[in-house]
Amino acid sequence: MEILEAHHISKNYGGVRALKDVTFTAYRGKVNVLVGENGAGKSTLMKILSGSEQPTSGEILLDGEPVHLGSPRDAQARGIGIIHQELSLFPNLSIAENMFAGRELRRGKRFVDSASQRRRTAEVLKRLGQDLDPNTPVGDLPIGQQQLVEIGRALLEDVRVLIMDEPTSALSNHEVDVLFEVMADLREHDVTVIYISHKLDEFRRIGDWVTVFRDGSLVAHESMSRTDTAWIVREMVGRDPDSLYVRNSSPVGEILLQVRGLTVPGPARPLVDDVSLTVRAGEVVGIYGLMGAGRTELVETLMGMRKAATGEVLIKNQAEPKGTVQARMAAGLALVPEDRQRDGLVQSMSVRDNILLATVGRMTRGGLLDGGAEQRTARSKVGELAIKIPGLAVLVTSLSGGNQQKVVLARALLTEPVVLLLDEPTRGIDVGAKAQIAALMADLAAQGFGVLFISSELAEVIAMADRALVMARGRITAEFSSADVTEEALVTASASDSVLEAGS
Amino acid sequence: MRIRRAILPIGVAALLALTACGGGDSDDSGSSGGGQTPAASKLIVIITPSPDNVFFKAEQDAADAQAKKLGYETLVLSHDDDPTKQSQEIDTAISRKAAAIILDNAGADASVTAIQRAKDANIPTFLIDREINKTGVAVAQIVSNNAQGAGLGGQEFAKLMGNKGEYAELTGKPTDTNAGVRSQGYHGILDQYPDLKMVAQQTANWDQAEALQKTQTILQAHPNIKGIIAGNDTMALGAYAAVQAAKKDIVVVGFDGSPDVVNSILKDGIKATVLQPASKIAEMAVTQADEYIKTGKASQPEKQSIDCVLVNPDNAKSVTNFAVAGS
Amino acid sequence: MTDTHVAPPKSPAAPPEPNPEGNRALAKAALWLLRGRTLVVLVVLVVIFSAISSEYLTQSNLILMTKHVAINAILAIGVTFVILTGGIDLSVGSIAGLASMVCGGLLFTGLAVPGGHLFFSVAVVILIGIVVGALVGAVNGVLVTRFRVAPFIATLGMLYVARGVAQLISDGGTFPDLAGTPARGNQGFHLIGVDSWLGIPVAVWIMIVVAAAAIVVTTKTPFGRRVYAVGGNERAAVLSGIRVNRIKIAVYVISGACAALAGLLLTSELGAAYPDTATTYELNAIAAAVLGGTALAGGRGTIVGTVMGAFVIGFLSDGLVLIGVSTFWQSVVKGAVIVFAVVTEQAQQRLQSSLSKRTA
Repeated sequence: MEILEAHHISKNYGGVRALKDVTFTAYRGKVNVLVGENGAGKSTLMKILSGSEQPTSGEILLDGEPVHLGSPRDAQARGIGIIHQELSLFPNLSIAENMFAGRELRRGKRFVDSASQRRRTAEVLKRLGQDLDPNTPVGDLPIGQQQLVEIGRALLEDVRVLIMDEPTSALSNHEVDVLFEVMADLREHDVTVIYISHKLDEFRRIGDWVTVFRDGSLVAHESMSRTDTAWIVREMVGRDPDSLYVRNSSPVGEILLQVRGLTVPGPARPLVDDVSLTVRAGEVVGIYGLMGAGRTELVETLMGMRKAATGEVLIKNQAEPKGTVQARMAAGLALVPEDRQRDGLVQSMSVRDNILLATVGRMTRGGLLDGGAEQRTARSKVGELAIKIPGLAVLVTSLSGGNQQKVVLARALLTEPVVLLLDEPTRGIDVGAKAQIAALMADLAAQGFGVLFISSELAEVIAMADRALVMARGRITAEFSSADVTEEALVTASASDSVLEAGS
Repeated sequence: MRIRRAILPIGVAALLALTACGGGDSDDSGSSGGGQTPAASKLIVIITPSPDNVFFKAEQDAADAQAKKLGYETLVLSHDDDPTKQSQEIDTAISRKAAAIILDNAGADASVTAIQRAKDANIPTFLIDREINKTGVAVAQIVSNNAQGAGLGGQEFAKLMGNKGEYAELTGKPTDTNAGVRSQGYHGILDQYPDLKMVAQQTANWDQAEALQKTQTILQAHPNIKGIIAGNDTMALGAYAAVQAAKKDIVVVGFDGSPDVVNSILKDGIKATVLQPASKIAEMAVTQADEYIKTGKASQPEKQSIDCVLVNPDNAKSVTNFAVAGS
Repeated sequence: MTDTHVAPPKSPAAPPEPNPEGNRALAKAALWLLRGRTLVVLVVLVVIFSAISSEYLTQSNLILMTKHVAINAILAIGVTFVILTGGIDLSVGSIAGLASMVCGGLLFTGLAVPGGHLFFSVAVVILIGIVVGALVGAVNGVLVTRFRVAPFIATLGMLYVARGVAQLISDGGTFPDLAGTPARGNQGFHLIGVDSWLGIPVAVWIMIVVAAAAIVVTTKTPFGRRVYAVGGNERAAVLSGIRVNRIKIAVYVISGACAALAGLLLTSELGAAYPDTATTYELNAIAAAVLGGTALAGGRGTIVGTVMGAFVIGFLSDGLVLIGVSTFWQSVVKGAVIVFAVVTEQAQQRLQSSLSKRTA
């Protein structure tokens, strides 16, 4: 029986269509799973269903009646709660204070009724099977219990539909078990759960229905019992990714980058856990994994932006023990970061100055900058990478995302690296630019560079990588050659806890 | 103490000599009789503006020395002309149960409440150098007669100018009572001469560097200036530096009698200044405080005005540390 | 996302323009005026004041005003380096005072050594003063980088510490006579603050040299480029292999050295060193930098702009004194001009980004 339905929902952000005519149904008292790659439109739909975004067109039906969800409060009032992927708790406040944050129980209009808040918090915690003191500061709890506090917040209201956006990404196995027990209990109490997840092995245990999103469209909707993992992956990825990308086919040469036993400590568990890998000349190596798997931390450590606790990094068979950005750069590494705006570009500088930033020390004559050399060098890189710019002197922020990415790439190439590290090189740029970046990577490999890139997109990894590594929980959990890599294998390995045995 | 010896012979301080001896006695006996304050306290708190200025430094040193001589402990503080800081320091004095406060205050109106607070805590305050706009709060207000002093300065300035010509005036911090009193004192004399014409009047906030720059600009606007009269000595020094740089022959007169200006007078630089008997006033205040602690009564009227002395090349040699020998 | 450097969102639906070419020319002209606003303000000031007083626009007054500007300009140039990296230096006034007292003490009483006092030549004394300023700046830099103290706090602390040390040197007193004696071989300190060369005060020449050097460093050297990068986006600078901590320490050293130099010029002109020298001058210096278009967030600004800013402040204050306006009004006018400058800076940024977007 359907409780919440979305009819022909479309959502445009500026010129980008995030959702294309989606019709989605959530069944009452069931766990409805949503899957899809990053940017497929799941989260956008959930924002619309929970009232924080308005659809461009289409309507929402609750119990068969059209409703207008103008704000999260609207949705809450109708019994629709949401738990976001990122925790929105105040670590310095107690569990009870967090549960009632922004909607404190009042006594005499002005004063907070702390006693009642504590009592009701204790009730909710009991329902969640947690024997916790409501006065405990949330910051003292392990992350799994914090997640449960979030759920408790939603349960305080009389929730009929509970949306959970990747709630297990930070949880341990045991904590996931507790969460699933809670979900089963909710289901028995006739609460409808909409559950977004990447982890196939997990959601197959709990889900009743599965809905697959791809590129802003709902592509499949099926009862879980009638699906298998392969079917889900097939629907997620779609067909024919190869046509978009140029495959590298250059001969593989000597080992350029060798990493042995690299470990970076983190607050709960190591961010990077005993990682070993190699990259050879002429090779494009892809790292697939979910968010928080430690991929970005790995390349940042290789580049010297983070300190490794143990492990060795060899570049062209020379150990580089200093581990500073300068030393790693001199040894031949260059990183194109994931977040261009935060880590890549100096927004107040021109295109030319951004391109030359890392190598400006070489553009001198008699200690002073040689404007001619600067202009020539920047212009040649602009031509080489086909960066579209109105002029070298314009501010870098006036370029499109793809061209900004090329500016960062140009800067990295000018440092004369032997191995290029690219963190999500195609994120946030349009399809045409993606293809260009892919072609550039293949081209660089052909010139004898080693290329190591990170991607969250299955199709991209499969189409571009000569070798694909999979990371989960800071470890490398699988390695595939381009011949034997499949979407299913990547997804399975990305959700796995098992560590790749050496030599497999 | 050379200065004290210099002062003692003159009749004004006969009493002072007696009380000094009395202080010595009480030191031996180890207790101070009478008074409203708890008998145990032997602490005198001395609060002045910043000792950056040699004038206040001399004042501090004289009060400190006199109090120690009379057998007291001292706590010397500076309020940097900030009434808030002064108020906090008076609170410190109250919490330390001081026997008396010697205060060169941070503002004629802004200081009243804090002094009243001390009075309510049975701590008598003796004001030096600057008055407040209320009586009956402090036990004594001993100030140099700024009006009389400015009159002296004004007369000397007029004489040096030959009673005619253009001149400029540099005034002190506008919030400071003395800045106004001195300026009025100067004009009480100078305005009587129709041929003396003030062409510029600027404040330099008692500051030497500011006086230098402002004087330079004033000299630009009014190249025919023959004299500059300044509200204090640091400004006079700044003005004189500008005059020297401009290689002009201009009469500069200051106020305070600071050692630097006295030196300048001896070298025929600055022409005259008016000496405030800072050390003498500070010592008088401490002596009266000692009397009050012992007897619980004030021996002198609250408002006491001590005359200033003109310093010019004739007597500059005999000036040391804000006191003129033999005056 | 806590990133403050998010690129302005592009609006695909730009408002329709009836006459794009004409508007564009107008916008460009407006932008040109806004970019040169400090110069425009300066010209306006000169015109107004010379209309009121015939003494304003004379050669000797211009030279004098420029000499007054020199001290603030040198302070402001140093501070500009710090602000370009996204920091702030509140301690420059105190550093100027400290350097003044160090040199005053060395000239007046000499360095106390066993068996007497050691005197140095004026050149050595000046050098020592500047080194002291640079060292204090280095302490600021180390606090900001190694100990991760916010620049505002670190240099606020140094404002008090340096001023206190300046007062300790003389126990609060003044060093009244810095002329030196032939016997001690330390005459000639007046050279930098009082003397002239080719009719221009030496202090002005020094300002010209400092400004020229700073212009070359900021625009023509890799170091300068890195200073801008650190202020524009520190994380990107790190990733580009820039040693961010070294750059930051270097800018505080530059700021300290400039402050010391300014303090020495002031002291030389005055012929006396007193501990309150240059109190609150840091505010004038920061005001000059901001007036000249330096963004307090870092990454944007020029030395030329800062020097122009110092000229505006100096020509304004001196003009007001010259025509006999009271101190209170001087404060009001100065404050208003600074706020006006920042308002126009915002307007310039908006116009500039909208223009460059249309270009792209």
